[in-house]
Amino acid sequence: MTAAFLSLQRVHKSFALADGPLPVLQDINLNIRQGEFVSIVGGSGCGKSTLLRLLVGLEEASGGSLLLENEPIRGTDLARGIVFQDHRLYPWLTVEDNVLLALANAPLSKAQRHELVQEHLALVGLSGFAKAWPSQLSGGMSQRVAIARGLVNRPKVLLLDEPFGALDALTRAQLQDELARIWLAEGITTVLVTHDVDEAVLLGDRVVVMEPRPGRIRRVVEVNLPHPRRRDQLELVQLRQDILQDFSHSPNTALA
Amino acid sequence: MSNLPLISWRPLSLRADISRFSAPSLLWVGSKASALVFPALLLVLWQVAVNRHWVSAQILPPPSLVLESLLQLWHSGDLWRELSISLERVLIGFVLGSAAGLLLGIGMGLSRTLEAYVLPSFQAISQVPVLGWIPLLMMLVGIDESLKYLVIAKAVMVPITLNALAGIRNIPKGYLEVAQVYQLGLAQRLRRVILPAALPSLFTGVRFALTKGWIALVTVELLASSEGIGYLMVDGRQMFQLDLVIVGMLVIGVVGLLLDQGLAWVEMRLQRWQRPAF
Repeated sequence: MTAAFLSLQRVHKSFALADGPLPVLQDINLNIRQGEFVSIVGGSGCGKSTLLRLLVGLEEASGGSLLLENEPIRGTDLARGIVFQDHRLYPWLTVEDNVLLALANAPLSKAQRHELVQEHLALVGLSGFAKAWPSQLSGGMSQRVAIARGLVNRPKVLLLDEPFGALDALTRAQLQDELARIWLAEGITTVLVTHDVDEAVLLGDRVVVMEPRPGRIRRVVEVNLPHPRRRDQLELVQLRQDILQDFSHSPNTALA
Repeated sequence: MSNLPLISWRPLSLRADISRFSAPSLLWVGSKASALVFPALLLVLWQVAVNRHWVSAQILPPPSLVLESLLQLWHSGDLWRELSISLERVLIGFVLGSAAGLLLGIGMGLSRTLEAYVLPSFQAISQVPVLGWIPLLMMLVGIDESLKYLVIAKAVMVPITLNALAGIRNIPKGYLEVAQVYQLGLAQRLRRVILPAALPSLFTGVRFALTKGWIALVTVELLASSEGIGYLMVDGRQMFQLDLVIVGMLVIGVVGLLLDQGLAWVEMRLQRWQRPAF
C-alpha cells in the first residue's frame, strides 16, 4: 500500500452543549493516497461536514490526529482548498476579484496572480465572465467560480462540502462531469462530502460510508473502475445498490 | 431602545425613488408629482385659514408674505450667510461624530471584549437626548462653536456606532470563514470583507445620523446661538415675525431632504454590485 498522504487517526470530535459534550465524530481512521478521490457519503447528522471542517481547519478535533504529509493540520492553510455548498462568493467583488482574493497571501507577483486567475476561470469554463458580478450568475456558474477559487492556490488537497447539493439535477450532473474532468487534469487529492450515493460512486476511487449518532465510518467501498465513468455503467449501478442497502436497514440512518 | 439592527429607519419610499433615477419614466414623474400632493394641500389649507381669519395673521402669516420674506432673505444674501454657518456646523460635527462612531462601532464589532466593556455605558449615555446634554455642555465648554460641534457630534455618533456594530455582527458567518480559509489579515478582512458586508447597515446609520445631526443643530441654535438658520427662527419669533420662522422651517426641511437624497445617491454608487440577475 502507498504511504498515506492525508491521514486521520482515531479522530474524535464533540461539541460542548449546555447539558454536556455531544459526540459527533467517533474513532475516524482513514488514510488517503496522493491524487486519490475519496467520497464520504452519509445521511444528515453523520458528521461528514464536521469531518471536512476539521480537514480544512475551521474546527479543531477533540482527539486523535489529522496529518497532511506527516504534518499535523492546525488551522487553515492555503495548502487545503475548500468549496462550500453555498458558493460563498462575495457579492461586492467581481468574479475575477473573488478568485483573486484567494491569492491575497500567496507569494506571487501581480502578473502571476492574474495569470493564475485567468487560467482557473478557463478551467471551469468561465473565461468570459471575469468582470461579472456574482448576482449575475446562475447557481451552477457561481459554484464553478467557487471551484476555481478553491483550486487557484494549487492546494495539495481539495475539500468539497456537498458542492452540488443546492443545484438542480441537470446542472448537478453537468458539474459532476466537469469535476471528474478537472480532477483528471489536475491530479489533485480530493475529498468530497455528499449525501448523494450516485455522486459518491461516480466520482470516488473509494467511498467512505458513514453512519450517525455519533458519526462513525461504517465501511469503505473501493470503486475499481477507470475514470471518466459513465453513469449507466453496470458496475456503478450495482455498487450504488449495494451502498444504498446500508441506509435501508434502519429508518434512523436513512438518507436525508 | 435596543441595540439591535435599526434597519427600519430608512424611509422605503426614498429607496424606490433612487432605483428609478437611471430610467426616468412616466411612472417616475408620477411618483415625483405625487410627493407634491400633500404640500399642495397644506398650502391650500394654509391660505384658506388665513383668508377666513381662523388664526390671526400675526401668528400665521399668509403664504405670500412668507414667500416675500424668503425672496428678500435670498436676494440680500442673509439666507446664504446663515445657512452656510449652519451647514458648516453640521459638517464639522458630522465629521467628528461619524469618525468617532465608526471607530467605536467597528472596534466593538471586531472585539467582543471591547463591546462588553463599553456598550452598556454607551447605551446609557445615548439614552439622554441631545437637549438634555446642552445645559451641562454649556457649563463645560461655553456657548461657542465647540458646543455646537459637540452636540451635533454626539447626535451623529450614536446611530453610526450602533449601526456599524449591528452591521458587523450580522455578517454571515460563511463570509468570515472564507476570509479565514484564505488567511486574510485584519486590514485585508476589513477592506475586502467586513466593511463591504456591513456597508448597507453603515449607510442606514449615516443617513439617520445626518437627520439627527441636523435636528441637533437646530436645537442648539435655538438655545445658544447668535447666527445660523436656527437663530434666524429665534430672531423671527422674538420680533413676532412668524414669516421668518416659517422660512426657517422650510429651509431646514428642504436642505435636510437634499442632504439625505445626496447620501442615498452616494450609497447607490457604492453598492453598484447589487444589480439584479439577468
